[in-house]
Amino acid sequence: MSLRESIHSARRFLFGDSARAFGSVSAVLLVVLAVVPARDHFREWLHYQNEYQNLIRNRRDGVSLARRFQGGVQQVWLPQLGVVDRCGTCHVAMKEVSLAGIAPQPFHPHPPIPHSLTEFGCVMCHRGQGAATTVAEAHSSTLSWENPVLPARYTESSCGECHEQPLTGTPRLDDGRDLLAQYGCVRCHKVASPEGRTIAPSDHPPGLKHVAEKTSREWIFAWIKNPQSYASSARMPNFQLSDADARDISAFLISQSTPYLPEADQKIPPIPAAAGADAVQQGASVYGEAFCASCHAMQNAAGLMVGGNVGTELTRVGSKVKPEWLAQWIRNPGIYSPRTVMPHYRLEPKNIGLIMSFLGSKTDSDFLSNVHLDPATAEQIAHGKRLVTEKGCASCHDINGVPHPDNFAPDLSAVGSLQLSKIVFLPGMPHTLPDYISAKIRNPHSFGNALKMPQFTLSDSQVESLVTALLAQTTRATTLPAALRMPAPAPSTYEPAGSAGELIKDLRCFSCHKINGRGGDMAPDLTWEGSSVQRAWLVNFLKAPNTLRPALIRRMPKFDLSDEEANTLADYIETVYQTPAFDRNEIDAAKLGASDAAHGKDLFYGKYACNSCHIVDPNKDKGYIGPTLTQVGLRLNAAWIFHWLKNAQALRPGTMELNWNMNDDDARAITAFLMQQKAAAKGASK
Amino acid sequence: MPGLIDDIAGLRNSRVWRSVFRSGSGESNLHRSLAVQQNVFLHLASVKVRRRVLKFSATWYLGTLSLGCFLILITTGILLMLYYHPSVPQAYADMKDLQFVVSAGVFLRNLHRWSAHAMVLLVFAHLFKVFYRGAYRPPREFNWVIGVVLLMLTLFLSYTGYLLPWDQLAFWAITVGSNILAAVPVLGAKIRFLILGGHTVNANALLRFYVLHCVILPLVTVLFVAIHFWRIRKDGGLYVKEKTDDRN
Repeated sequence: MSLRESIHSARRFLFGDSARAFGSVSAVLLVVLAVVPARDHFREWLHYQNEYQNLIRNRRDGVSLARRFQGGVQQVWLPQLGVVDRCGTCHVAMKEVSLAGIAPQPFHPHPPIPHSLTEFGCVMCHRGQGAATTVAEAHSSTLSWENPVLPARYTESSCGECHEQPLTGTPRLDDGRDLLAQYGCVRCHKVASPEGRTIAPSDHPPGLKHVAEKTSREWIFAWIKNPQSYASSARMPNFQLSDADARDISAFLISQSTPYLPEADQKIPPIPAAAGADAVQQGASVYGEAFCASCHAMQNAAGLMVGGNVGTELTRVGSKVKPEWLAQWIRNPGIYSPRTVMPHYRLEPKNIGLIMSFLGSKTDSDFLSNVHLDPATAEQIAHGKRLVTEKGCASCHDINGVPHPDNFAPDLSAVGSLQLSKIVFLPGMPHTLPDYISAKIRNPHSFGNALKMPQFTLSDSQVESLVTALLAQTTRATTLPAALRMPAPAPSTYEPAGSAGELIKDLRCFSCHKINGRGGDMAPDLTWEGSSVQRAWLVNFLKAPNTLRPALIRRMPKFDLSDEEANTLADYIETVYQTPAFDRNEIDAAKLGASDAAHGKDLFYGKYACNSCHIVDPNKDKGYIGPTLTQVGLRLNAAWIFHWLKNAQALRPGTMELNWNMNDDDARAITAFLMQQKAAAKGASK
Repeated sequence: MPGLIDDIAGLRNSRVWRSVFRSGSGESNLHRSLAVQQNVFLHLASVKVRRRVLKFSATWYLGTLSLGCFLILITTGILLMLYYHPSVPQAYADMKDLQFVVSAGVFLRNLHRWSAHAMVLLVFAHLFKVFYRGAYRPPREFNWVIGVVLLMLTLFLSYTGYLLPWDQLAFWAITVGSNILAAVPVLGAKIRFLILGGHTVNANALLRFYVLHCVILPLVTVLFVAIHFWRIRKDGGLYVKEKTDDRN
């Protein structure tokens, strides 16, 4: 039977007369209508709920798990937040801690967080399409939904949509925000909170108005060509300049430089670098004693970076600075650069000469060996100035004749809400916002050579932190209820007064210490230092700081203060920096009994195991996390120790000391024990 | 079997039956005519038709299929109205609810959507068929005009329904469409303002389109469909070619 004939007979069978036609059409309609309830029955989430019930059936706690399990579509509806989340339809075990590490997704319990899952829902933090009840629609980016689920490594960004202050649970976000400030991102890009507060840069790009006094044109040329070839930890990005452009920019920078000491009498008598066989060796000792390495790093012979990252890396500094400038700088950096964070050391000329010879030995003969520049022409200088303006150098550096540009780079205040449909992705790149931002930071020039953003040197984890911080900059932060906003407090404008205030500024105490909310967090907060320490100890410490925490590399520098200066500072600290919480003299150490002290010793080694972190007997104790306590009876006031033991967090928020909630008797006994620790000033603490 | 037929005959002569169908159950042409004419549901239908016009080739059933689509659209539309709020924060979320949690919601919405597309297509095809067969000629020229009005109503229904999902496609389609309206000389901007209830597509436009789509345009369409069918009867039934053409 041919095809034609079979079609003909099939047609006659199905539509031969009106009764047959009616029957056939009705049958088709029935099938179509049956598909609908069938599809409803085989919904994806139903499959997961069945799977979950199989999973818990044979568990010992299966009965209680089953009792808490609720079938059907589970929904969190929060009208004020615009949240309709049905994630719990498949993620049925979010609150079942007993399934941690056992059940596969989607049955993982949610890790503990400070927020209630039902008060905030899921998409507030994870993004994705909360209303969806299928895996693909809920998680992925689809034609009708731009906001796919955030990869887990960026989830902290959502905390940042409300919280502006650092949180213990958001190291990556905090790190990212610090990096935005440290790498000067915010000098070109505006990154503002909904309240309009911008992130303040925390880097210290040097002013270039007197740059010719400090270094040579050859060094500038080599540096701007590739900053990391001079110092691998340099934060200055690589602008990928051609030789000609670098030549012209260096020519302009030298030509615009003016002398920084217009008055001849401000100049100090020239200090020559110390000569002699062991001058370098001695210079290294002075460098070490002054604790320069607390801020400055050098690469050692093994290629490891040793030292802090507050100041510039000094590995090849001998190839960079001119000796006359270096002498003046070490003597008082504030003259060349009033905004510097480097303190004014009171070093003797002899020691300055020794440090100079040590730093002068830190050269790299290869660094400038291939740089040969002909004298600059007027055209080159003019072209250099144009380049400096175009590249936005003045966003970071003060330069004569080039004003600070406004709105130089795109505003990133809402970059976390950027619509995918408005982004031009590179071929082959995943079409998600985190991938886009990450690619932009990693390699800006891959998006076109005309882009002005330079190439930064960042590790993978730094890029991830930056992406996290930028994803937190959403428009949602402005649309959510105002009560949810946790803005950072206004930055402190605290200024210490009087002659002590002048000293505090001159010594740049705020570079490391925080006082009344202002200053760095490298060293202890001194807001209540006057309640804490004894005056005699403080004077000695200011003159010759000894080591309190053996485990720390960064230590208080030795400024060589005069007796008068040390006393002025100690008086001011003792008088002004006191806590209102208690009177520092309320416990008289002399009246604490020996029996108390003996009981305190038992508590110290027994109940509270303080020796896990602290050393009282250097021959026996091994704790090195906290400060050494061998001399604590000479250092601290009894009242401070007592209140510290009771609640250290109240005295210094964020301190590593645990909150013991000690009762008065225990605290008094341990105080008595500690006030007995008055070992000789030298030796015991080493 | 004869008993059943007798029972039905008895039923049709019962008082209740006669109170509903007043025409009685006679076998004469008069009875049959009355049965149709005196019934509110049947009175639009012809009492007699030529066998030829019932053949598929005569009309391709395009008018009937359009009517079928329209009935499906009314039914599914009413059901969709149960789930839909014409408000800016809720409209798109309601689409998502239909997609994800309403039983048979996707089927309902798709049925509405595809029927709407099919209806536009069928109405166009209907007009072409009528045009090329020459069925628009007197005495049917007025019904042709009604048909054109019905085409316009179909398009307006389609256009107003397009905004209701309140997604990007909807927003920009209506933005473009209303800007085209604004190009009308002199009155353009006023017309756009009237349609949108503002200068841009916004909450007012959504509400206006909703009222047009769900109330005004369907009622007007039902009215014109009724006139259309009535005119078919009054203009001598469906058009067939003269007997001289011996192909039919």
